[in-house]
Amino acid sequence: MKHARYSILLPALPWILTFGLFWLFPLLFSLIAGFTDYSLLARNGFHWVGWDNYRELLQDEYFHSAVKNTLIFVFGTVPITTVLALFLALLVNKQFKGRGLFRAGYFLPSITSMVVIALIFTNLYQRGGYIALLASMLGFTPPEYGFLYNSNTALYGIMAMDIWMSVGYYMLIMLAGLKSIPDELYEAADIEGASPVKQLFSITLPLLRPVMLFIIVINSIKSFQVFVEIFVMTKGKFDTASMVYFIYDVGLTTAFRFGYASAAAYVLFIIIMIFSIMQFLLLRKRQPVW
Amino acid sequence: MRIIIVHLLALLFISNAYSETTLRWWQFWTDPAVKPTIESMVKEFEQANPDIKVELTDLTWANGHEKIVLAFSSGTAPDIVELGSDWIAQFADNEQLADISDDIIKDSSQFQGWGMATYKGKIYGFPWILGTRVIFCNRDLLTKAGYDTTFLPVTIAEFKKSALEIQKLGDDIYGWGSNTAERHRLYKKFLPFFWSAGAQLFTDDGKYCVISSTMGVEGLRLYHDLHKYAGYVANQRGIEDAFLDGKIGYIMSGDWLLKRIKLENRKINLVSTLVPGPKYPGWSFLGGEFLCISASSPNKEAAMKFIRFMTSPENQIRFCKANYSANPSSLKAQEDPFFTSNEHFQTFISQIKLSKHPPVIPEWVYIEDIIEEAVEESLFKTDLVAEPLRIARQKIQKIIDEKK
Repeated sequence: MKHARYSILLPALPWILTFGLFWLFPLLFSLIAGFTDYSLLARNGFHWVGWDNYRELLQDEYFHSAVKNTLIFVFGTVPITTVLALFLALLVNKQFKGRGLFRAGYFLPSITSMVVIALIFTNLYQRGGYIALLASMLGFTPPEYGFLYNSNTALYGIMAMDIWMSVGYYMLIMLAGLKSIPDELYEAADIEGASPVKQLFSITLPLLRPVMLFIIVINSIKSFQVFVEIFVMTKGKFDTASMVYFIYDVGLTTAFRFGYASAAAYVLFIIIMIFSIMQFLLLRKRQPVW
Repeated sequence: MRIIIVHLLALLFISNAYSETTLRWWQFWTDPAVKPTIESMVKEFEQANPDIKVELTDLTWANGHEKIVLAFSSGTAPDIVELGSDWIAQFADNEQLADISDDIIKDSSQFQGWGMATYKGKIYGFPWILGTRVIFCNRDLLTKAGYDTTFLPVTIAEFKKSALEIQKLGDDIYGWGSNTAERHRLYKKFLPFFWSAGAQLFTDDGKYCVISSTMGVEGLRLYHDLHKYAGYVANQRGIEDAFLDGKIGYIMSGDWLLKRIKLENRKINLVSTLVPGPKYPGWSFLGGEFLCISASSPNKEAAMKFIRFMTSPENQIRFCKANYSANPSSLKAQEDPFFTSNEHFQTFISQIKLSKHPPVIPEWVYIEDIIEEAVEESLFKTDLVAEPLRIARQKIQKIIDEKK
C-alpha cells in the first residue's frame, strides 16, 4: 500500500524536483535574503538585519520613483490595452474580406521578440525619427532630443509601444470569448429590437466578464513586471525605472545588494497580490449565472 | 599481480611528475580580429611552461560583470580574471582579489596605470591595456566654418567658439557630439571638461566633496553649452555614426573609433587632438583593463607568471596590433614604431599622461550615478548648472560621511 502511494509520485518526480529547485527554493531563499545584508560580492557571508531593508525601501527615493513609474505603467497600459483589444476583437469578429489577414496582422507583434521591437521603437522615437516627424506634421512639437530622452515622454513612449505590442494577443483571447457567446442571444435581442449598442452592453460585455477578468489580471501582472523594454530603451533613465528594473539594478549591477533587492521583490509580490485580489473581487461581483 | 602493481606505481609516478597546473582565465576579447592572437599567446605560454595549462573563457561586456560577481559569490571564481578599472575597488574591498603588491615592485616603473588598481595602499591588478579619450575633429567641417587647415582648438574658449561656428553651417550639421544619459558613459565624457576647468571631486584628503566649486560649475557650464547650442544628442554609437557620416565637427572618443574607421574603410578628414583646457592641454579620463588574481586561487604563482607573459611589452604590441589599440600599459611597448608612426596613436599616448582616473573606492558606483544624474538634470531637464551640482555634492558627501 505504501509502495503504491509512492509509485504514484514517481512520474511526477521530475516536475517536483524542478519545482522545488527552481521555484520553491529561490522563493524561500529570497524571502530570507530580504532580511539579511546578503551581497553577491561579500566574501564573509551575510548577517540578519531584520526589517532594515524594508525600512530603507521606505526612504529610498529611487525605489519610490520605481513604484510610481510602475503604477503609471500599469494604470496606463492595462485599461487601454483591454479596451483596444475588445474593440479590435469586435471588429475582426465580423465577416469581411481579408479578415484573417487583419487578425494575423494584429497578432504579429506579440510573437515578435520584445528586444527587436524595443530596438525598432528606439529608432522611431529618436530625434528626426518617424514619430517625431509625424508629430510635427500633426502640429505638435516633438521633444528636442527625441521621445526617449525626455522625462515627460520617455515612459509614455514605452507604454505606447507596449500597448501596440500586446493588444493583438489579448484581442485573440477576447475573440475566443466572443465566439463562446451563443448566437441565439443576439438573435433573440434582434427580434426584441435591441440596438447593437444595447446588445454590446447587455449581452457581449456581461458575458465577456470572465475573459476580461482574466485579461486584466494577466496583463496587470505582466505590466507590474515590466523590465525588458526599459532595459533596452532607456536603462531606467529619464524617470522610466520600474520596480523590476530597480530590483535588477540594486541586486545585479550597481552594488550587488541581493538582500535589499530581495526585499524589493517581496514588496512587488505583495503589491501584485493585493491588486490581483482587488481585481477578482471587483470584477466577479456581478458575474452572470449560466 | 606484482608486475601489475609495479606498472601502476610507475604510471602514478609518471603522472605526478608531469602533473599540470590548470589556470582558468576569464577575458573579454571575443573580437575575431583579436581572439586568434590571444589564443596563440596562450599556446606559446603553454609551450614555454609545459606544466601549466590555460583554460580560456570568453565574457561579453553585456553580462560579463554579472558573471564574474556570480562566480566569486559561488566560490567558482577563475584564477585570473580581466577586470575593468571601475570594478577593482568593489572586488578588492570584499577581499575577492589577491594582493600582488610584492610581486610587482620591479615592474612598477615600467608600466602605467597602477593607481587604478591600488586600493588602501595595496595593488590588486596588473595594468594590461589602458584607455583614454581624446578629441576627434572633422577637418573639412572646420575648414568650411572658416578655420585654416592648421587650426586646432587649444583653449576651451577656442574649442567652444569653433564648435558653435560649425553648428552655424546649416541643417543637419552639428558642432559637438553630446552623449545622452548612457549609464557608465556620461560621466566619462563630463569629467574631462570638469577636470580641465581646474575642478576636483574631493578635497586632497578625500574627506569632503567639492564637486560644486566655482571651477566645477564652469566645467558643467561648458559641457551644458556645447550640448545645448551645438549638440548632436545620441548614444556613443549614434554619435560616432553621425561623426563618420560627416555631420559632427567634434566628438570625444576612444581608440576604438580608429579601429572602426580602419575596418569600415571610412573616408573622413580626421584630426585628433588633446582635450582643451584653460591652459592647453586639459585632462582626460583614464580607464583600463587589468589582469587580477582571485584571492581563492590555489595557483597564484603560476597565475602571476601568466600575467607577466601576457603583459610583456612584446605581447602588448602584438595585442595592440591585432586590436588596433593605442594604449598599451607598458612604457617600452609605447616606443614601438607601430605607435610612434601613427599620429592618432601619438595623441592617445600624449593624452594618457594627462589623464585622471576616479578615486578607487567601492562607493564610486554610487558616486558615478550621482554625477550622471546631475549632468542629466542640467542637460535634459532643468537647464541649470550650479543647482544640480550642489545637490550632487550633498548626496556624495552623505555617502562619504556614512563611510566614515
